[in-house]
Amino acid sequence: MIVSLLLGALVSLVCGLDRVAILQIMISRPIVAAPLVALILGEPQIGLQIGVMVELLWLARLPVGAAVPPDDTQVAIASSVLAIILGRTLNASGIELLLLCLLVAIPLGKVGQYFDRYARQYNVRLIKQVDLALDRGSLLQAELQHLRGLTSFSLAAIGTYAIVLVGGLLIIPFLWPLLQQPLSYSSAWVQLALPLVGIAVILGTINVSRAITLFCASFCMSFLLMWLV
Amino acid sequence: MALVLARIDNRLIHGQVLESWVPFVRADCIVVANDEIAGNQLQKLMMQASVPSRIRVEIGTVAEAIALVNSTQLDHRRVLLLFGTTSDAVRAYQGGLIYNRLNLGNLQANKGKARLSCTLFLDPADLDRLELLDQAGVKITARCIPADGERPWRKLIPASRRRGK
Amino acid sequence: MAISRRTRLHIWLRLLLLQASWNFERLQGIGFFYSLLPGLRKLYKKEKLLDVSRKYVGYFNTHVYLAPMVAGAVLKLEEEQAAVVGDQTLEIDNFKEMVAAPYAAIGDALFWGGLRPLAAGVALFFAVKGILWAPLIFILIYNIVPTWFRTVFFVRGYRQGMQSVEFIQQHRLPDWAIHTKETAVVILGGLSAFMVFSQLTQHQLPSWLGMLTLIPMVFLGLVARKGLSTLLLVLITVISIFFIGLFWADVVSLISF
Repeated sequence: MIVSLLLGALVSLVCGLDRVAILQIMISRPIVAAPLVALILGEPQIGLQIGVMVELLWLARLPVGAAVPPDDTQVAIASSVLAIILGRTLNASGIELLLLCLLVAIPLGKVGQYFDRYARQYNVRLIKQVDLALDRGSLLQAELQHLRGLTSFSLAAIGTYAIVLVGGLLIIPFLWPLLQQPLSYSSAWVQLALPLVGIAVILGTINVSRAITLFCASFCMSFLLMWLV
Repeated sequence: MALVLARIDNRLIHGQVLESWVPFVRADCIVVANDEIAGNQLQKLMMQASVPSRIRVEIGTVAEAIALVNSTQLDHRRVLLLFGTTSDAVRAYQGGLIYNRLNLGNLQANKGKARLSCTLFLDPADLDRLELLDQAGVKITARCIPADGERPWRKLIPASRRRGK
Repeated sequence: MAISRRTRLHIWLRLLLLQASWNFERLQGIGFFYSLLPGLRKLYKKEKLLDVSRKYVGYFNTHVYLAPMVAGAVLKLEEEQAAVVGDQTLEIDNFKEMVAAPYAAIGDALFWGGLRPLAAGVALFFAVKGILWAPLIFILIYNIVPTWFRTVFFVRGYRQGMQSVEFIQQHRLPDWAIHTKETAVVILGGLSAFMVFSQLTQHQLPSWLGMLTLIPMVFLGLVARKGLSTLLLVLITVISIFFIGLFWADVVSLISF
């Protein structure tokens, strides 16, 4: 279990840094990060299902300028790890457990946004260091300050992961016996609803005139096609 | 003409305005009132090139913006008004460009400016100007993008200054 | 003195770390300095180098994928500046400042607003089917255009200097962003239909029921437009489905009774 947690932390670090600090090749998106961590832990399908549910939820929140979107990366990674670990320890399986992990992780993941904001605020200190280094005539020191920024972003990523994970490990074992049965009546529908809510939010906020009309047309058309074929 | 948003943003037209505010307030015309940018032809062109062609963009001095907004040219348009600085906003208001609400977006950090929020840095003169607008009945709030909460500007003022009042 | 290919590659690699010290005061400022430093080192020495560096650590922010183009152009300008005796520092500063916000706006619309939902929509078709390659498909589809912008435009920026803005001005990229977003909406429509349809067939329910999904979705979309947070919408949806699921059997038995 410890090994799984650490492997999860490693993925959370790499994918978390991809969000803002480095690369931006989108390994931070839930649809990539969740299956990745789940693959490493040996149950890729769990990650894929969680990825589908989380990917679209905050896709409409763009990282424009200084706006900080919610940390869906860590929510996806942590809930995948939770689902896999708890699946083994509670000897449970099925979509109900995934949903429970995800529904616990989503509100806890809110801290990610605060941590991210805090990291960016903390990095303001580096400016002074850079200015001082330049005054002293040390370019190497100035360069290093830039890389120091990676520490705060790493801590924000790992911190979010840890909080969601610890919170989940404390809460879910209690909720599971209570909610397993009630959740089973609606689990398939909740699983379907989450990506649809995400799509609805995208439609509401995307900068396209008549997005909803376009969406309805496409929906009906595809639906008819599948029906007839 | 409907004035759907008046905003102070030192970056003027950028991602937050185009991607978040334009769909949120459903604006179809952006008016930029800033003397500095109005004098720079190339910068004006660049800024216009960053806006989709279905949105009308007017970039001019504060005086030009006042005249434009009060003319009939923008009838049936939903106008998003952008100022670069607090002084632009005050000058426009005093010049007859009346807005009831003012949104504070980004004001860049400079020496001698106090931090109000993550993206807002104001000096005492800025605060005085906002005070002036507030007295005139303008509802001033800080909100970077629509998804952020709206906060009244007075709540953000550093305590030291509030006590001085 | 021209900047060697090797140094330019070094700068390009450093641009991948552009936002490592992103902060609310100077945004990408320090990162831009960090990326350009290998080139500046070749052009200036000692005191002059420090002076130029001080200029670059100031406020700067543009879109990550378009920053290489700005860096390339600035590099060219600095190269010209170092070669002549005259002073055009002001011009370089103005250029940097002039392109930053418009490039940011264009990049945000094209990549975050358009390409990301498009690529996600396509990849999710595969993911919903349970195909494990879906993440890879997403990364491949998404990264083609950004990589092209990062590499080709870095080279072009360096080659053309200030003229590099002409490409952006001429090609109406913001309109392309709108087209990308429209495509994304169409794909998401297909994706929703696909998900709903497969669910209904799995549960052996009549498929026309699926058309009803449009009602809550349009409603949620309109509510989201009003500014309600996703977290709230998710909670409301999940809780209502949960309770419907809980009492559905009772309702059905009541009706049939």
